[in-house]
Amino acid sequence: MFIARSEYDRGINTFSPEGRLFQVEYSLEAIKLGSTAIDYLAAVHYTTGAQHTILTSYQVATNEGVILGVEKRVTSTLLEASSVEKIVEIDQHIGCAMSGLQADARNLVEHARVECQNHAFHYAEPLRVESCTQAICDLALRFGETGDDEESVMSRPFGVALLIAGFDEDGPQLYHAEPSGTFYRYDAKAIGSGSEGAQAELQNEYHRSLTLEEAETLVLKTLKQVMEEKLDAKNVQLASVTKEKGFRIYNDEEMGRAVATLGGNQ
Amino acid sequence: MMSFMGHQPQSQAVGYTFSQPTNAPNKEHSFYPYTDNGGSTLGITGADFAILAGDTRSVAGYNINSRYAPKVFKIGGDDDTGEGAHIILSVVGFAADGQALKERLDAVVKMYKYQHGKPMSVRACAQRLSTILYQKRFFPYYVHAILAGLDEEGKGALYSYDPVGSYEREQCRAAGSAASLIMPFLDNQVNFKNQYIPSSGDGHALEPKKPEPLPRETVEQLVRDAFTSAVERHIEVGDGLQMMVITQNGIEEIYTPLKKD
Repeated sequence: MFIARSEYDRGINTFSPEGRLFQVEYSLEAIKLGSTAIDYLAAVHYTTGAQHTILTSYQVATNEGVILGVEKRVTSTLLEASSVEKIVEIDQHIGCAMSGLQADARNLVEHARVECQNHAFHYAEPLRVESCTQAICDLALRFGETGDDEESVMSRPFGVALLIAGFDEDGPQLYHAEPSGTFYRYDAKAIGSGSEGAQAELQNEYHRSLTLEEAETLVLKTLKQVMEEKLDAKNVQLASVTKEKGFRIYNDEEMGRAVATLGGNQ
Repeated sequence: MMSFMGHQPQSQAVGYTFSQPTNAPNKEHSFYPYTDNGGSTLGITGADFAILAGDTRSVAGYNINSRYAPKVFKIGGDDDTGEGAHIILSVVGFAADGQALKERLDAVVKMYKYQHGKPMSVRACAQRLSTILYQKRFFPYYVHAILAGLDEEGKGALYSYDPVGSYEREQCRAAGSAASLIMPFLDNQVNFKNQYIPSSGDGHALEPKKPEPLPRETVEQLVRDAFTSAVERHIEVGDGLQMMVITQNGIEEIYTPLKKD
C-alpha cells in the first residue's frame, strides 16, 4: 500500500489506480495536524429562542445568526496575542474562521473578498453565502493549472480549511470548505486538531432552538474541552454573524463577558 | 497603370477615369460604425404592473428597412419564446447594438440563475445593465435602454438609461426619435404636471393635482394615444405598436397596427 502510494503522490493532478489524489488527501492532513498554525475551531449555527423573535414574513425559521469560535494558540509569552488572526471578515455579512496554513487562507480570503465586492458592484446586492463559498472552492480546485494568461495560481492544493459563516436572504448559514474544493452546509461544525472530540460534543449538545447566549456558551464549552491550555479571554476568539449587525469579531470586553458567563455555568 | 489594356488608355476611350486627378485633394476615407434606425419606445409603471412599448418600424434615412422589427424583449426566459422571463428590456437607437445588448443581458440573467440559484431581481438587473453599458464607455452601445419588471414588493419598476449606463428609477419614460414629443405628454398625463384641482384657490395658489399610480386600462390607452400622435408628427415612427405588460401572472404581449405612411 505504502509503495503504491509513493508512486502516485508526486504528480499534483495524477490519479492513483484506485482513483485517489494523494496530494489532496495530504492537504487534508495539514488541517488536522497539530502545529502553531493549526487550531481548534468550533462553530455553532444557533437558532433563536423566545427572546429574539423576528417577525419578517420571508424569514423561514426564527433563525438569527451564527457564532464562530477559535483557539488562538499563544506559543510564547512574548507573542502578541492580537496578531494571531484566525477569524477574518470577508464582507459585511460574511466572515470565516480557518484551520491549517494561515498564509494559504489569505489567498482564499482575498479571492472571496474580491468576489463579494465584484458582486455588490455589478448587482447592487450582497453576495449570497453559498455563492461566496462556491467562489472560494472554485479557487481551491485551481491548483496545478498552468497560468499563462493570468497571474499564476497555486502549484499545490491549499493546506487550509475554512468555516464560512454568513447571513443572507435565506437566513444564517454555516459552510465548511475543504482544499479538495468540496463544501457542505452544517448546523454545527468543528475542524482542526481537536475536531473529532469537538464534533462529537456539538452533536450531543446542538439543538435548533439555541439562543445567542447559549450558542456562545456551547462554542466556548466545546473549545474548552479540546484545548490543552486553560481557556481564558486571551486564547480564544469569538465572532458572530447576525441580521442586524452582520459579521463582527468580539472585542476584549465582549470576550471577557462571554468567558465569564462560561465560568459561571461550569 | 492602364497600359496593360492596350496602347490607348481606356479612360480616354470611354470618357471616364478611375485614377484621381493629380491636383485633387486627398480623398478622406471614413468608416462610421453607427446608424440611427429611428423609432420610439415608452415605459409606464402602475401599482402592480409595468408596461414597455415600442413601434416596430426600422428606418435608415428615408428608407424603411422593416415594418416589423421589435424593440421590446423578454430577458432571462427559459426558451426562445421568452417563457418564464420576469424582466423586459426596450432598446432604441442603433438596432444592431440594441440586439447585441439584449443578447448579452439575457445571457447574464440566465447565468445568474445558474450561479446563485435564484432569479435575478429587477434592481440587480438594473445595476448590471448599467455596468454593462459603462464597460463600453469609449465605444458605447448606441441605444437608449429602458428596463422594466416588478420590484421586491410586487410594484411596477422601471429603469431608464443613457447610452453609457447612467440610470434612474422612474414612473414613466419615453425614448428614441419621438421622445421629445411623447415625454411632455407623459409628464402631464402620468405625473399630472401643470394640472391643478379646479377652484382650489386663485391663480398660482391653485393646488396641484397629486400623481398617483394609474390603472392598467388607463395606462394602455395612454400608450396607444402617445404612439398614434407620434406617428402623425414623426416620420420615423409607425407601422406597428408592440406592447409588453408585466404583472404577477407573467408577461403579456400585445400588437396593434399603426399607420404605415
